[in-house]
Amino acid sequence: MAADVHLWAMDKYGESTAVQKKVLIIDDSPSQVKLMQTLLEKEGYWPVGLSDPKQVEKTIALEHPNVILLDVVMPDRNGFQICRDLKGNAEFNMIPVILVTSKDTASDRYWGEQQGADGYVTKPFTREELIRAVRRFA
Amino acid sequence: MRHANVLILTDEAEFARLLTACWQAERQAPSITVISSELWRSQDVPRHDLVVVGPLREGKLTNVLSSLDPASAAILCVPADSREFGPLRAKYPRLVHIPLREDWAQTLLLVAGESLRRAEALRLARQAERSAAKNENHATLGRYMLEMKHSVNNALTSMLGNAELLLLEPGQLSSQSLAQIKTIHSMALRINEVMQRFSSLDTEMREAENASQGETVETSGPVSGRR
Repeated sequence: MAADVHLWAMDKYGESTAVQKKVLIIDDSPSQVKLMQTLLEKEGYWPVGLSDPKQVEKTIALEHPNVILLDVVMPDRNGFQICRDLKGNAEFNMIPVILVTSKDTASDRYWGEQQGADGYVTKPFTREELIRAVRRFA
Repeated sequence: MRHANVLILTDEAEFARLLTACWQAERQAPSITVISSELWRSQDVPRHDLVVVGPLREGKLTNVLSSLDPASAAILCVPADSREFGPLRAKYPRLVHIPLREDWAQTLLLVAGESLRRAEALRLARQAERSAAKNENHATLGRYMLEMKHSVNNALTSMLGNAELLLLEPGQLSSQSLAQIKTIHSMALRINEVMQRFSSLDTEMREAENASQGETVETSGPVSGRR
């Protein structure tokens, strides 16, 4: 059963339509992206997956997500760097960023906070943990 | 300091008696074994930290010295004019010689004390090297496990997540399949608990290393000097 996470908007004909909250999932592992997409879809969210961390800003500009789920350990550009860049960007810094990572030490969490992350979910997570973290922001 | 073993090898009973008496008057007397050159068989004697070679019968000194373990510390206490001593000095440059003069016993005890301390320091150094090698192996294993943790957690995320997705719609599954998926899910959670314990591995290893260092410092503490 999908949770009630729809906003109602008026279309150009004056009719109300449901607007799903969009969640951008950034993870270099396609299977992890697919899993989170399926879990979020079942809760009524509109998940968008991205496996190339170099395309983050471009994808955000295109998709305008309500919240971002961001992996940390990725090639070329890690999640901490991406989070720092987004929070330093006036255009994107209002979008909540939730780090979703297997890095689970207190120092990892602290470092995530220092980069401006709004939430932290450690892998492996349960469905409830992921959904609870997303619901805080969308 | 560990209790030291000293072997006194001499054919003069008075030499052995006097030296043993002097040593027993010390605060820390080693375990002393006295043996004559007639009975000396190096393989029959237990491992010792120091050998004191006193006056021996004519012609025995060379045989005794050549049969000593090269790793053992040895002090030679014979008259400076001994006929055998001259050539031996060239052959065994590391041999400590104390001439049999008036104050030979006190000099020998001083030199023996330093020699035993050196042997103890060497033993501790070797022990520390062995311990360091062992710790290095543990550290390598720990680093490997921590590196693998990331991959295992990612795999577990997929296992747990997909099992939960299947369990969300149990109507499509037979009761047997449902039970199997629940087993996969609970076993994945069990692995997750085990992995959580690995998270503290770094801290535990550091604590173990500190304890090991403390032990080494304790055993190598200051040795009591002579009275």
